[in-house]
Amino acid sequence: MTSATVTGPIVGSKGAGLRPGRILLYVVLGIGALLMITPFLWMVLTAFKSDLEIAKFSWLPGELRWHNFVEAMRTAPFLRYFRNSLFIAVGETAFTLAVCTTAGYALAKLPIKGSKALLSYFILLLLVPFQIILVPLFLIVKSIPLFGGNNILGQGGIGWLNSWWGLIIPLGAAPLFTFLARQFYVSVPNELAQAARVDGLGEFGIFWRIMTPLVKPALITICVFQIEAAWNGFLWPLMITTTDAMRPLQLGLAIFAQNPAEVQWPYLMAGTALATLPMIVMFVFAQKRFVEGMANVGIKG
Amino acid sequence: MSATLERPAPAVAPRRTAPAKDSRKLIRGQVRAGWLLLSPALLHSGIFIVIPVVAAIVLSFTDYSFGDSWSWVGFGNYVDLFKDQDFRAALVNTILYAAVVIPVSMAVSLAVATGLNQKIKAIGFFRTAFYLPTVTATVAVATIWLWIYNPGSGLANGFLSLFGFAPGRWLSDPNTALPSLMLVGIWQGLGTKIIIYLAALQGVSRDLLESASLDGANRWQKFVNVTWPALGPVQFFVLVTSIVGTFQVFDLVYVMTKGGPGTETTVLVLDIYQNAFQALRLGFASAETVIMMLLIAIFIGLGRLLQKADVND
Repeated sequence: MTSATVTGPIVGSKGAGLRPGRILLYVVLGIGALLMITPFLWMVLTAFKSDLEIAKFSWLPGELRWHNFVEAMRTAPFLRYFRNSLFIAVGETAFTLAVCTTAGYALAKLPIKGSKALLSYFILLLLVPFQIILVPLFLIVKSIPLFGGNNILGQGGIGWLNSWWGLIIPLGAAPLFTFLARQFYVSVPNELAQAARVDGLGEFGIFWRIMTPLVKPALITICVFQIEAAWNGFLWPLMITTTDAMRPLQLGLAIFAQNPAEVQWPYLMAGTALATLPMIVMFVFAQKRFVEGMANVGIKG
Repeated sequence: MSATLERPAPAVAPRRTAPAKDSRKLIRGQVRAGWLLLSPALLHSGIFIVIPVVAAIVLSFTDYSFGDSWSWVGFGNYVDLFKDQDFRAALVNTILYAAVVIPVSMAVSLAVATGLNQKIKAIGFFRTAFYLPTVTATVAVATIWLWIYNPGSGLANGFLSLFGFAPGRWLSDPNTALPSLMLVGIWQGLGTKIIIYLAALQGVSRDLLESASLDGANRWQKFVNVTWPALGPVQFFVLVTSIVGTFQVFDLVYVMTKGGPGTETTVLVLDIYQNAFQALRLGFASAETVIMMLLIAIFIGLGRLLQKADVND
């Protein structure tokens, strides 16, 4: 709790001097960080090991067997899974941006009757866990009319099951992102919009050309969160995909890990490393966004 | 969120100070545009959230399975549920899981966030290290830990053997299966909480802390009397999201144990999934989701009471 201020030194605190307490703090945090990272190191190390090396416990691989990654690709269609995950993440993010920015803007800036009630509605929905609506959602997606062999009443076929529609649309545009988008637009001053109105720009033009460019940095936060959610999703694809051609990466990994007795660990760890890498890279580059998103949801009412 | 729940920020309506001549027309245009812009989100949330929530409740009173014929069974599903061994095990395991994972991870996160809130070098590194498990997909986390817990050549036993401990059977031993999962749950959940706490700690009034120092308060006293009360709303937010999160635990269990050995690690969502998509008892599974909803509500209510009591102390 030493807030080392520039003026008026507080008794007994020298800011970042290396006092015993400070060293202890670094040691404790260092051990904590190590505990967090070790499983990942273990994953990477395993990905390079030979079958012999994993037969009994060993720390380091004798040589870096890059070949394992190639073999992993051959054992399971990881590349296809990877492509599917990418497709879902991009599709869902585009859909979310389209639906949530428009709704968020309308809630924040347009004089709709009952916009307070609408905001409460989205906040309430944000608290509904996906697991609660699992079963009916499946039934609804199965009976989307005129898709997957369904008639106009949504019967007789599989609807959106095992399709990109089903993988992308139902889980996209989560109320959380509508709420976040609204928070961003609220903080933009109204004068710009008013000026544009006086100049005769239409409402959609104001939304699209004036207001949205101003919240662009904040929208990246939404993108980052949505990409992460889509990339890491598991239960929904598990329920609605039936063929390998449509399976995303996480599902592929789970299937590969199905019976621990027969798993080829180096290959599985190679696949897992490939699955985790994009998100880690994204986090390293977008740390600020993650933190902002968290702070926005949690702190600012 | 918590702050939002208590007092939603006032929706900012644009000041209606357009030139009087055609101001009414302007407003009308704005309202029309507003509803148009809102309609996709309202339609989407109606079809994919509101209808399913209502349907889950309705289904829970029927014996619906994927067929065409079904009938009302009233509270029959609920009566059967509480006789059902698997459900009882799932209920107990889920509550146990939540009761251990939530307080431990909240306490650890707050401690780490407090540590990171000192003027620390390499803050980016620490933040990344603690947040890595959170950005990683739970399935990937589960496969890594499956390998760590491997009784033959996993890291856990390899590490313990350094100190001469006997190897454990971790996930296949009824006594250690659930605790092993809890450990992973705690490990994975720290990142988000640390970031939220860190943001909140940075918002704690410096003036108050300074004046407490001048009054001769030590670190602990400052934490208890200044920092802790300031964290109130954030604590509640973290608690609510943790409750919803732990009750939803599924990926971890599905990949690591499938609920075994026996039903030692069966959790609610896994049981719902198995009842709905393997036994095809959709009505029965829906009754389970309704119970889960009620449980989450009860837990959140308890959390509120705790928070209120804390404030009134």
